[in-house]
Amino acid sequence: MIDQASAASGRRAPFAADRRPARLLDPRWRGPAGLVLVAVAYYVGARVGLSLSLVEQNITPLWPPTGIALAAFLLLGRRTWPAVTVAALAVNLPLTEGLAPAVLTAVGNTLAPLLAATLLGRVGFRRQLDRGRDALALVFLAALGSMLVSATIGTAALVLSGAITSDRVMPAWAVWWTGDAMGVLAVAPFLLCLPLFAELGRWSPARAAEAVLILTALAVVSVWVTLHDLPLLFLVLVVLGWAAWRLQLRGAAPAALVASLVATWAATHDRGPFEGHSLFEQMAILQAFNSGVALASFFLSALVTERVAASRALEAAAAELEARVEQRTAALSTANARLLQEIHDRSVAQEQLSREELRATREHQIAETLQRSLLPDRLPDIPGVDLAARYVPATADVHVGGDWYDVVQLPGGLIGLAIGDVTGHGLQAAATMGQLRMALRAYALHDPSPVEVLRGVHQLVTQLAMPDMATLIYLVFDPDTREVRFANAGHPPALVMADGTSWFLVDGLAPPVGVTADDHYAEASLDLPPGATLLLYTDGLVERRGVSIQEGLDRLALEAADHSDYDLEPLCDHLLSALLGETRNADDIALVAIRTSPRFAGPLELLVDAEPHELAHVRRTLRRWLRDTGVASSDENEILVACGEASANVVQHAYDGHGELAVAARLDGDVVVVTVSDRGRWRRPAERGGGWGISLMEALVDAVEIDRRPSGTVVTLRRTVGQEDAS
Amino acid sequence: MNPHAHVRGEDLAGVDGTRVVRVEGEVDLANAHDVLDLILGRVSKDTTHVVLDLSATTYLDSSGVAMVFRLADRLGTSRQELRLVVPDGSPIRAVIELTSVDRVVRVDTAVSDAADRSR
Repeated sequence: MIDQASAASGRRAPFAADRRPARLLDPRWRGPAGLVLVAVAYYVGARVGLSLSLVEQNITPLWPPTGIALAAFLLLGRRTWPAVTVAALAVNLPLTEGLAPAVLTAVGNTLAPLLAATLLGRVGFRRQLDRGRDALALVFLAALGSMLVSATIGTAALVLSGAITSDRVMPAWAVWWTGDAMGVLAVAPFLLCLPLFAELGRWSPARAAEAVLILTALAVVSVWVTLHDLPLLFLVLVVLGWAAWRLQLRGAAPAALVASLVATWAATHDRGPFEGHSLFEQMAILQAFNSGVALASFFLSALVTERVAASRALEAAAAELEARVEQRTAALSTANARLLQEIHDRSVAQEQLSREELRATREHQIAETLQRSLLPDRLPDIPGVDLAARYVPATADVHVGGDWYDVVQLPGGLIGLAIGDVTGHGLQAAATMGQLRMALRAYALHDPSPVEVLRGVHQLVTQLAMPDMATLIYLVFDPDTREVRFANAGHPPALVMADGTSWFLVDGLAPPVGVTADDHYAEASLDLPPGATLLLYTDGLVERRGVSIQEGLDRLALEAADHSDYDLEPLCDHLLSALLGETRNADDIALVAIRTSPRFAGPLELLVDAEPHELAHVRRTLRRWLRDTGVASSDENEILVACGEASANVVQHAYDGHGELAVAARLDGDVVVVTVSDRGRWRRPAERGGGWGISLMEALVDAVEIDRRPSGTVVTLRRTVGQEDAS
Repeated sequence: MNPHAHVRGEDLAGVDGTRVVRVEGEVDLANAHDVLDLILGRVSKDTTHVVLDLSATTYLDSSGVAMVFRLADRLGTSRQELRLVVPDGSPIRAVIELTSVDRVVRVDTAVSDAADRSR
């Protein structure tokens, strides 16, 4: 996610070594000019060296050409060897007798630095001499090791040419070897440090002034100690240490060269500490001094360089780390900010969502509450009439509202049933539905006729210019006769179910109210079978997404037929679950079911509370029994009034508090026998209002028998009746 | 509202002071008292004749008959005349006849007859 690659780019590793001998140098020195330069330098160095010889002019304690040759091989490449050979030959020819020793010596003088350069290359020598191992390699491999070759070959040449006798071979060899080695140690580092002035960057003026001061001090000290008899050569080492510490190789190499040259000059001229010593002693002191100078300066400078490099590397690493940390921190804070923004955005979105959800839920709840408050909170308790109803609000969003039903008790024991659906959903539909329901109730009480009721509702909807369309069924049910009269304004048809079959009441259909200007509603009527169930419902029950309404109606008819024997409450539950299944109902559902009483077979037995409101129930039940038994309707009213008087007596006089009233009826041939009994204390008929009750009973039926007992009273009424035709 | 009976009243068109009060449904011990109040509630001081139309009354027991007598009593004290309308073949006809209501209150078979003051 975060680009880190650029952090360390463009930097060079602090220890990246350049081991290539001289590739970095100016290219013009690679050609013949380089060869000439090498040859000239070699020759000049040889002349300087010869001026410092101890043994006549043959053996010198410091042989600079060796260092020059090695430096040439390391800086310009080993292919400059011909220049070295030629220059060496030129130097040696005048010194030897004959060509052969000179050639031999020249070969040795070429081979030794070549070997040194090769060995140094093998061990990964860095000409910057910035590591302790480079100083070690220079001292042991290049100076002391490789120069064995030139010393051996050169001494052999001296012996062969007869320049020295055999007894002086060892001293000559030793001097040659040390001279060559000193040449490497004193001169080569100085030459190798020269390119560094170009490569490592310029010194500041203060640093340059310090360098001048150090070199001056070194020269002064060197000269001074060599002019005195006191052995104070070691003082030079202090200044050398200073040079190496402050300037590293670029200060130490020139300083070492100067010190070695001064010391060697002093030795060859018998000056200072060298005065009065034998040749061997002079050699020993000089070589020891030169070795100490070389080793001390190079090791110290290498050490300091290493430390400086290490500290620079540490600084660079620290800087890099810091940069990386900064970059990383920046990246992290960017990511963090983005994350925070994202979290903020999300919480805002979430809040908005939940606010909308809350609003929708609230509206749903309000609509549902309104809807429920506008629907009957409970069905009227009508003795002997089996009723059930359901209202299931839509589970989704605000689709609640608009479905309604009502049950109205009408004069004469009639029951008005209504179910309807106001198109649209939500608060407005619920409010419209509430108005319609109340209006219908008022119209029904004024005139129960289905056509009149629908006409009234239609006029209301038209006059109020209600924005919604409404469908509804209104029907009047007579529990005594089981007759139903109804009219339908565009509503799904009512369903009748009886004895394992079911059918829809498709008659009496007209358009929904408020749709057309005319109000021609049609009334249809039907005598329901005993025990039949009439079901009114709204379209939510039969309409499913992806299923045709006909399919829904077919399923309803099938389920209703299969479960027509269920009690009303379980029947409603079953129909809802069977038609809705597990799905959420997207629309409201309202259900009203009413069941006609079963046909009486055999005698009637009825036990009710001895309360005034039960008298109507007793009447209806007895009327139904009389009709089911086939008693002629002309006899019906007389028997009902007689039974009603006896029952009213029980209600009024039998009990101080609560008690029960039992009514039984049977048919003995063509005589109807009705008994009205209580478990109360009988009071004389004279105590009853006007005494009409008894006289009415006696006038209306053939025989009245009053059986008073301590446990209660039984009134038996008998009347011979005619039989209704079986039509 | 009593579930068994409905009482409504209206002035008879063209006949001043005559109010027709119609009782629909059933009158028994449970609602006779309420029905009496309802009928009286439909009668104003200006009413001189009250026609109690029982054509749509499907049940009337002795409590209902007592209610009719009580009504006649109340109206009589304010010099208002009561007449009943009970059509032939009405289910309550027998009760009306058996309780001799017609000895106290005039009983007609139609509202038009009852409204005729010449009789």
